[in-house]
Amino acid sequence: MYKWFLAWRYLHTKMIAFFGVAAVTLCVAMVLVVLSVMGGFLDTIRTRSRGLHGEVILDNGSLQGFPLYQEFIDNMYKQMPDVVEAATPVIYNYGLLRVPETTETIAARIWGIRLKEYVRVNNFARGLYYNHYYPGTTTLGKQRMPVAGFGPDGKIHLPEDLEKANAEWRSKSTDPKEVAEYDADPFTQTPFPSAQSYPGQRVFAAAPGPPRYEKQAFYGVILGCDLIFYRRADGKFDRHLARGAEIVVALIPLSVTGNIGGEPPVKVPLRYTDDSRTGIYEIDSMHAYVDFDMLQQKLAMTPQERLDGTFTKARANQILVNLRDGVGLNEGKRLIRAAWKKFLDKNSADLDSNEIMNVNQVEVYTWEDMQRAFIAAVEKEKVLVTFLFGIISMVAGVLVGCIFYMIVEKKTRDIGIIKALGGSSQGVAGLFISYAAAVGIVGAVLGIGIGSLFVWNINDIQDLLAQLNPNLRIWSPDIYSFDRIPEVVKSMDAFWIGFLAVLASIVGSVVPAILAGRVWPVTALRYE
Amino acid sequence: MNNAMLLKARNIKKDYRLGPSTVQVLRGANLDAERGEWLAIMGSSGSGKSTLLHILGALDTPDAGEVWFDGARVFDQAAGARGRYRNLQIGFVFQFYHLLPELNVLENVLMPRMVTHSLWTWGRHRGKARREAQAMLERVGLAHRERHRPKELSGGERQRVAIARALVNEPALLLADEPTGNLDASMGAGILDLLTELNKDGQTVVMVTHDPAVAARADRCMRLDDGVITRADVPVVDPPIVPAVKEVSS
Repeated sequence: MYKWFLAWRYLHTKMIAFFGVAAVTLCVAMVLVVLSVMGGFLDTIRTRSRGLHGEVILDNGSLQGFPLYQEFIDNMYKQMPDVVEAATPVIYNYGLLRVPETTETIAARIWGIRLKEYVRVNNFARGLYYNHYYPGTTTLGKQRMPVAGFGPDGKIHLPEDLEKANAEWRSKSTDPKEVAEYDADPFTQTPFPSAQSYPGQRVFAAAPGPPRYEKQAFYGVILGCDLIFYRRADGKFDRHLARGAEIVVALIPLSVTGNIGGEPPVKVPLRYTDDSRTGIYEIDSMHAYVDFDMLQQKLAMTPQERLDGTFTKARANQILVNLRDGVGLNEGKRLIRAAWKKFLDKNSADLDSNEIMNVNQVEVYTWEDMQRAFIAAVEKEKVLVTFLFGIISMVAGVLVGCIFYMIVEKKTRDIGIIKALGGSSQGVAGLFISYAAAVGIVGAVLGIGIGSLFVWNINDIQDLLAQLNPNLRIWSPDIYSFDRIPEVVKSMDAFWIGFLAVLASIVGSVVPAILAGRVWPVTALRYE
Repeated sequence: MNNAMLLKARNIKKDYRLGPSTVQVLRGANLDAERGEWLAIMGSSGSGKSTLLHILGALDTPDAGEVWFDGARVFDQAAGARGRYRNLQIGFVFQFYHLLPELNVLENVLMPRMVTHSLWTWGRHRGKARREAQAMLERVGLAHRERHRPKELSGGERQRVAIARALVNEPALLLADEPTGNLDASMGAGILDLLTELNKDGQTVVMVTHDPAVAARADRCMRLDDGVITRADVPVVDPPIVPAVKEVSS
């Protein structure tokens, strides 16, 4: 009994113990914050990656793509209705985006998608900005530029279809705060009629006259939100282009063999119809989405006449598949792979040698396979950072060892007294180990508490620091993919960190405890 | 060993190394103490009397010789058993009191009981132990000081606490090492009166001192010279005349 009693008494009467508790507390809090933030970062990436493409992806890893994509999609719908929920083809290539209004020119990865199908296989629709406030108005087909003007009531209005769509959003919106924010943020930033100057959250062109559509009709383009817009520290974007502004994309068509066409690059004028936010910066800063059929045609991936007068097959770069509920990811992958092989056996007779090569290179992936390199890098980063902070936290164990060595030196006489009262060497060693365990337990509990409070309020703390000095904003949304620092503490993480801290404290005290147990009582009692 | 004999030590030898040289502290000391006896061991400073006391209480081990307690060889026992011997059969009183400064008076007195019991058995015995510790403090006249820390007590009070602590487990033998050596005359007298009272109630006491006046309070006095007991007889000096001053705590 005396071990626990004295350990507890020493804990709250010996000032030096507070340094041990403080060291353990700081280390536990530090590791918990790092692990929680990095873990939250990883979980967010995983969640977002899952909804990025499709659950299962067919890709031959080559820009010239592969044929028979539509035939296989039709085949899947027919042969595998219990497995496949939705499927869509995708084309990807690289291009140069030019904004004539600002003369800004940037490289981008151009994705050709069938928007209505594409939003059925992934979470793309959730990240469309204008489509959120004006549901159903984002399309990739030919469109003109919406221009705000005076309505019959003398107030500024958008064209009727946009006003109707917005009214629909208002009627369905369940968040009054969001509606209030919308109303507080007008769609033009400068007073009418000179409203041609931006930026703002929602930006529409405005001009005298009634609301209307103007300018020539072009295909639409959805831009990755970080592609040309500036993301503010609060996570919102400053859009310096009005919806419907002209974007010109320059493309390089590739033949079925992957050769670049001899003609100059194809220049396609487009209208900016929306911007997309997947939450993955590497995607949002590189991708632009256009109409599948238009891109297929511009990249010469539609059927092309061969020298013998026959035609090649139309090509796509990927097939994205969404599985039905209850179909496991790897099971779905296995079934689709088997179906693809079977399909090729039956349908590749009409293909030329280059096309056969292209279809044979098609591999079936899950979304995890596709994002493995990226997720694995973040996972490794998490392990590395946790390991490094864990190493740093070993300082706590060493510090506890030093503190206990000092305590044993200081308590030599007490050790003699305890032994004179009948305490054994093991009992005295146990006293100091109990003392260290108490230091570790109190430090771990405090550390978990402080660390959790810090993580739960990490964004508020950062906002406060940023108010004092903008340079103190550590997690800047204009750099990272997420607006907010992940603020979730996993109870198992907290438990294991606390457990290891207590263990480290005990390990740190073992040598001093053994030394204490070996103290010869007569020597100790003479110690003054 | 007759039934009256509580403690017997024979041919106790103990050397200490001091740098390159070896100091022979005990050269074959013999000692007998009967139940209920108050035995004083006198000797000059450095004569080995404290070493002998530590060996009798199994705080130290002899290089040669043997100690019998209640007929059993003390140093034939394992370290754990010797710990129980110190805890249950021996009560130590030291010159410098050796109280634990973080504990209050009651907790210091309870400490031997806490050593006796494990965490699991303490719950059952806690109430009884507390009552007996309070009774012991009552007996040494410090019931009103049980919540005080040692630093808040006078030297005499500290020594009384040390005596209460030594006796809380009702040991057969009280070993006192210069119990008045750090006290002024009046406080020392109070402690000696307390020991006398305890001895009258049947407590066996073995005390070492260099002060003949203190030794004179014992039933029997032995002299330790040059590591051996040279005389074992009744006190050689008359009992000292000490004023019966009731100690006033600081």
